[in-house]
Amino acid sequence: MSLARRALSSFSERLADPASKVQSYISRSRDPYLNLSIEDHILRTSPPDSTVLFLYTNRPCVVIGRNQNPWSEVNLGILHAARQGKHAPMDTEPPAIGDVDIVRRRSGGGAVFHDEGNVNWSITCPRTQFTRDKHAEMVVRTLRKLGVDRARVNERHDIVLDQGLKRHVADPQDTHATAYTAHEGGPRPFKVSGSAYKLTRARALHHATTLLASPNLHIIPQYLRSPAKNFIQAKGVESVSSPVGNIGLDIDTFQERLQEEFAAMYDAGAKRLTVQTVGEEQLSIPDVKKGYEELMTDDWMWSQTPQFTLTLQPYAGVDMDINVHHGIIKAINAKGSRYGTDVLDKIRPALVGQRLQDVGDWHTFLRSRIHPWDDGFDILGHHLENLIPIPKLTKS
Amino acid sequence: MAARFAVARAAHQLSSSAARKPSAFACQRWQRPAAMMVVERRLFSGSAAVREKKYTEDHEWIEYSADGKTCTLGISEYAAKSLGDVVYVELPQVDLEISAGDAIGAVESVKSASDILTPVSGTVVEVNSTLEQKPGSLNKDPEGESWIAKLTVEGEPEGKMMSKEEYTAFTEEA
Repeated sequence: MSLARRALSSFSERLADPASKVQSYISRSRDPYLNLSIEDHILRTSPPDSTVLFLYTNRPCVVIGRNQNPWSEVNLGILHAARQGKHAPMDTEPPAIGDVDIVRRRSGGGAVFHDEGNVNWSITCPRTQFTRDKHAEMVVRTLRKLGVDRARVNERHDIVLDQGLKRHVADPQDTHATAYTAHEGGPRPFKVSGSAYKLTRARALHHATTLLASPNLHIIPQYLRSPAKNFIQAKGVESVSSPVGNIGLDIDTFQERLQEEFAAMYDAGAKRLTVQTVGEEQLSIPDVKKGYEELMTDDWMWSQTPQFTLTLQPYAGVDMDINVHHGIIKAINAKGSRYGTDVLDKIRPALVGQRLQDVGDWHTFLRSRIHPWDDGFDILGHHLENLIPIPKLTKS
Repeated sequence: MAARFAVARAAHQLSSSAARKPSAFACQRWQRPAAMMVVERRLFSGSAAVREKKYTEDHEWIEYSADGKTCTLGISEYAAKSLGDVVYVELPQVDLEISAGDAIGAVESVKSASDILTPVSGTVVEVNSTLEQKPGSLNKDPEGESWIAKLTVEGEPEGKMMSKEEYTAFTEEA
């Protein structure tokens, strides 16, 4: 008896227990790489017919979709602004914001900013019961019970707060419309929660952000606006940018009510659903540790980027296209006069075949590769460092 | 690298109407004599490979070449329909060695990432680069022009492989 109980006491074993049809977890860790890896472990090892809620909050980070280009989606140069001291201090008062991690998640979708005022909720459920709206609707019901009557699910499966004037009585059961829904041309709703999905044969993961009380709303656009956006032509998935807002609810209250709503939806209140806490100790699970380390590799962060072309004008009258495939510079082509050929003859051998993730700082890299050095190449280094920097990933 | 992150992909329930689509039966019938001839010749030479499209429970298909040494892999019409509009297809790299059950690529549609699994082991010899330029074409002809990859085959496929009829019944059950 006591042995049996102990056998099921580990997180992994309880998670995979076929009798656990409805499970609820919350993480005390603020590490985005860890939380995403615990979530992936849940997706891969929970029983095929189970439904699992997982709540977590990350330290400040930018999370991009699986098939996105970090250089065109994220202002990478300011992630470690405080540490590098290369860029002017940002308007971060109050409060000061330090290092911001960059993370490529395994699900699809666009780039989002996370911080301690944002709660991430994720639901893993059977593929046969999955729809893209089902659990966003669950969250909207929770929000409305907490008095947020402007909340609804929009056509992109995100949650928004309508900003229109109260016009009519809306059906409180309709999670896709509110009394404040404005007609086209009216005030744009604020996005407060963004959804993304990962599908496997038997299972579906829906995870989403929830901006409850972010102190950083005013600087989120600075992180999600890249200086390279107009110079990169990328395959893959482009973010759709939306005005964002805070819901303005207490984090603990929201989490508790969401856990209750989830329990009511799946457990029918038959027995009280216990919420289990997870954290750093889950790194002792080999599968979690493996996923955690993979998310922090340069291969996953940089070389997973879909092919793209960066167009530069480093020298007057020269248009230079740098073609990157699987994170490796495949070709450099240039149109233009004067500097054209002799400059290219030096640049091509230095750059073609190079993996971006191994470059480090562009100035140092170019100086080590181009001989004899001409100060004119500093301009190229400046452009590259500005547009496609490769910041070091946090190893925590 | 991507392959290691993957788990599986597929389609099942998203649109139950997709299951009822009559699908390419006519084409199937038209192909059969050729397929059977190959079978007969195979019986002679002792090979087990059959030149007919076979489907997995993960909604991929494979079709062997005439000599049985290579196969073409793709996703089923059912899968393509239920995924919705495809916005990106991640293809494997040529020369990649793969094991049955590996994710060899991924599809993104409507903010969802789904893996493409291979039921056979071998090596990637060719990928359909058109899909990198025009991912949406995967929705149009997933069992024809929009194949994913060609592989040299080592050994037998792993897991349940179904004929077109069996697969159609399988998707209707779900």
